[in-house]
Amino acid sequence: MKKLTQTTILFLLTILTASSQDSPYQKAMKKEIAKLIETDSLPLLQQSANAFGRIAELNPAEWQPVYYQGLAYTFQGMDKSLSLDKKDEVLAKADELAQKAEALSKNNSEIVALQGFVLMAKLNADAVSRGQSLSGRVLQTFGKARAMDPKNPRAMALTAQMEYGMAKFFGSGTEKACGYAKESLAIFASQDEPALKAALLPTWGKSLAEQMAKSCQ
Amino acid sequence: MKIGFTLLLLILASAVMAQTTISGRVSDHKGNAVPGVNIFLKGTYDGTTSGADGGFIFTTTEAGSHTMNVQAVGFKSQEWVLELQGQPITANITLAESINQLNAVTISAGAMEAGDEKKSVVLKPLDIVTTSGAMGNITAALLTLPGTSTVGNDGRLFVRGGDASETAIFIDGLQVGNAFGSTTSNVPTRNRFSANLFKGSFFSTGGYSAEYGQALSSALALNTLDLPLRNQGDVSVMSLGGGYTQTLVKDNRALTASANYYNLAPYQSLVSQNFDWEQAPSNWDAEISLRQKWGNPVTGKAGMIKAYFHTEGSNMVIWQKILGNAGRGDRVKLDNHYNYGNVSFRHSGNKGWLFYGGVALSNNRDAIQLNADGIRQVNGIFHSKGVAVKDFSPQFSLKNGLEYYAKTYSEALPDQNLKRQFTDNQFNHFVEATYYFSNRFIMVGGLRSGYSTLAKETWFTPRFSVAYKLDNQGQFSFAAGKFKQLAEEKLRVRQTNLKNSAATHYILNYFIVNNKRTFRAEAFFKDYDNLVTYQGAANDPKNIALNGAGYARGVDFFLRDKQTIKDTDFWITYSFVDSKRRFAAYETKVQPSFAPKHNGSVVVKHFVTAMKSLLGTSWTWNSGHTYNDPNLPGEMQRKTTAYSDLSLSISYLPKPNVILHVACSNVLGRQNVFGYQYASQPDESGSYAGRAVGQGAERFLFAGLFITLSKDKKANQLNNL
Repeated sequence: MKKLTQTTILFLLTILTASSQDSPYQKAMKKEIAKLIETDSLPLLQQSANAFGRIAELNPAEWQPVYYQGLAYTFQGMDKSLSLDKKDEVLAKADELAQKAEALSKNNSEIVALQGFVLMAKLNADAVSRGQSLSGRVLQTFGKARAMDPKNPRAMALTAQMEYGMAKFFGSGTEKACGYAKESLAIFASQDEPALKAALLPTWGKSLAEQMAKSCQ
Repeated sequence: MKIGFTLLLLILASAVMAQTTISGRVSDHKGNAVPGVNIFLKGTYDGTTSGADGGFIFTTTEAGSHTMNVQAVGFKSQEWVLELQGQPITANITLAESINQLNAVTISAGAMEAGDEKKSVVLKPLDIVTTSGAMGNITAALLTLPGTSTVGNDGRLFVRGGDASETAIFIDGLQVGNAFGSTTSNVPTRNRFSANLFKGSFFSTGGYSAEYGQALSSALALNTLDLPLRNQGDVSVMSLGGGYTQTLVKDNRALTASANYYNLAPYQSLVSQNFDWEQAPSNWDAEISLRQKWGNPVTGKAGMIKAYFHTEGSNMVIWQKILGNAGRGDRVKLDNHYNYGNVSFRHSGNKGWLFYGGVALSNNRDAIQLNADGIRQVNGIFHSKGVAVKDFSPQFSLKNGLEYYAKTYSEALPDQNLKRQFTDNQFNHFVEATYYFSNRFIMVGGLRSGYSTLAKETWFTPRFSVAYKLDNQGQFSFAAGKFKQLAEEKLRVRQTNLKNSAATHYILNYFIVNNKRTFRAEAFFKDYDNLVTYQGAANDPKNIALNGAGYARGVDFFLRDKQTIKDTDFWITYSFVDSKRRFAAYETKVQPSFAPKHNGSVVVKHFVTAMKSLLGTSWTWNSGHTYNDPNLPGEMQRKTTAYSDLSLSISYLPKPNVILHVACSNVLGRQNVFGYQYASQPDESGSYAGRAVGQGAERFLFAGLFITLSKDKKANQLNNL
């Protein structure tokens, strides 16, 4: 009986300590990040954006909720089923959030990569008329993100996607794009994902890198 | 231990007891469900998102008085105060739409925008430079838009029956004097400013904002690039000359410096010319632009300052035949020196304030040698402007601006020690209110007032416009306004008390952008009053007065399609102008030579991936220019044959950073005639000898190689074409 009590107490203690390690903020973030990474359905992405919006409202000094809210809107802006107007509307919101995140955390490679992602989504929304004016800006923004953190696998994967699209358009070689895709995969493989997740840092983008690497084969 | 368990149970129980369920449905003002709305209790993580039917449900363990927040993109946020007591709460919410500048209606009457992201644009900035036949000249590209007329022996912008002086040109909101290169009569000119300076433009063919004045017909506002993307060097080698541009960018600042030299002599030695050149036109220019950005627009205060300086010189010597006389005629030597500089700023502050403005100085010196006589003409415009815009709400904003102009002009015959000049100080104020009734309905009203110390005249010019968006994305807009303009300086210097000429515009526009197709139709009526009249020849006017009047009316159409034909973008323009006015030395109302009745153009661009090339063609046509034949009774009795010019161009990109551009105007070699000149005295048989005013050459061929040097191997100078 005594042993049982001790075990119960120990058990309860571990639960208590485990949960006390995670503040309500962290708990909410972890839950929502996991949901966001899994989904590509528009209603779920909007739910996700709203959830991060609620978290951001309560934690105005943190950049991650704003970043993920922006990401959720960017994913929506990439959805082919939306009209151009609707895409522009959500991407304008995403852009606003990416800028807001930058104001909270300066010189952050992840946020700059997100800004580039938003621009790329804008370009994709109407490539014929926006390609010429935006492609340079997109690549420049990704370049900036890579310069800030040469080990940012998302900046690499997104650059690969952009370079790949341009190479296809101009009919030139895809070596450069594929190089970035490989490099991105290598970084993903070397990263300690659980540690990043615990710190609420971005871990998404691996499937994009894999998909790019696959197109290169 | 027991106590512990009991406590835990109690806590759990109380939590369950205090749980409140909040549910309801969100709809818009029409009763349609709004999905995706964020509904949450302020200060808590409790909340949810409305579903496809607008319904929502969530629970909270909070108790007492709490605020529920309702937010959705495209709608105004709402707050509800709830009393949480464990009883279920039902909240049915109706959201009001918020004004979304991205999708809201815009005033499209009279306006043609070239920009990157906005929906109401007609052209992209790049279109201005990749239009075949434009040869990198901004003005020539604008001449493929509705409401304009091509006047081949002039080269400037003629808008809806107005002459070229009726268009005012602005760079970053500040006026540019002498925006076109100096030239001699019947030799067409070009815009002085390179197209790759600008990120966009706003071209109004009438009914424009109270922010602009002293232009009876049209305003062209050019906006320079913000921050360039990267450090780069641009080399251009052309059949006419060459140039180099260096761009340096660091953080939030940038510097661009460029120098160019053009000389037509080598080209003219290869291709025979109809004009009698002694010295072909040559031109050098140098410019520097600086940019500094600050702040983050999302957090509130942010802005940018831009400085731009341009200097250039040009000269030419041409012989102009005198009718009825043998020999080469008059020898005209022209030396021009031109400087333009401006400093402009833009700053958005907190609480919906936006400030912008700046100062600009234009200075143009022409030294003309007409046979043995020297003539000096010096123009100067100083312009300063400060504007404050306040957004009182997303619906309503108010713009207030003050401007000061100092305009000077002098002309002198140095050999005879003769000189005359004037200085005019002009003060302007403008106010403009914009009100969105909804995303579909906008109204703008403005008033511009001015005072000229030289004319001793105060004037008030009201402007008004409305636009309404239909269900199919199309929109109607209507604009009306009064516009004033003082006479050209060559007339004012002779009679300094000349007051303003006036025009009243009425414009009705329909505009629709649908899936890469743009259609625009516009009808207009423009009433002119107090136009300048004089007696005698244009170079020696007598009895200058404001006794003229007239009108211009018509319709124009524009269709652009990037969809129907694969990899092909084309646009078709037709403009009909019926204009008659009494002006200059005409004694009756006549159709001006610069207002052909029917005008059209077709521009096609086709990208061939396999050839890595952009192929372009443009065709410009008008039904002919009126002219006066002194051998017939009356005035402006005759009309030239139709004008037609078919141009071809190809831009080949062997590597992403190298462009080879070849273009040829008037490939069919048509002999276009812009009018006729007649001898001032009749010959022995009593008739006036006449001669056609034609083109400098049948065709103009251009070839250029543009190379960009930068770390980013894909950067190129497509903007230069």
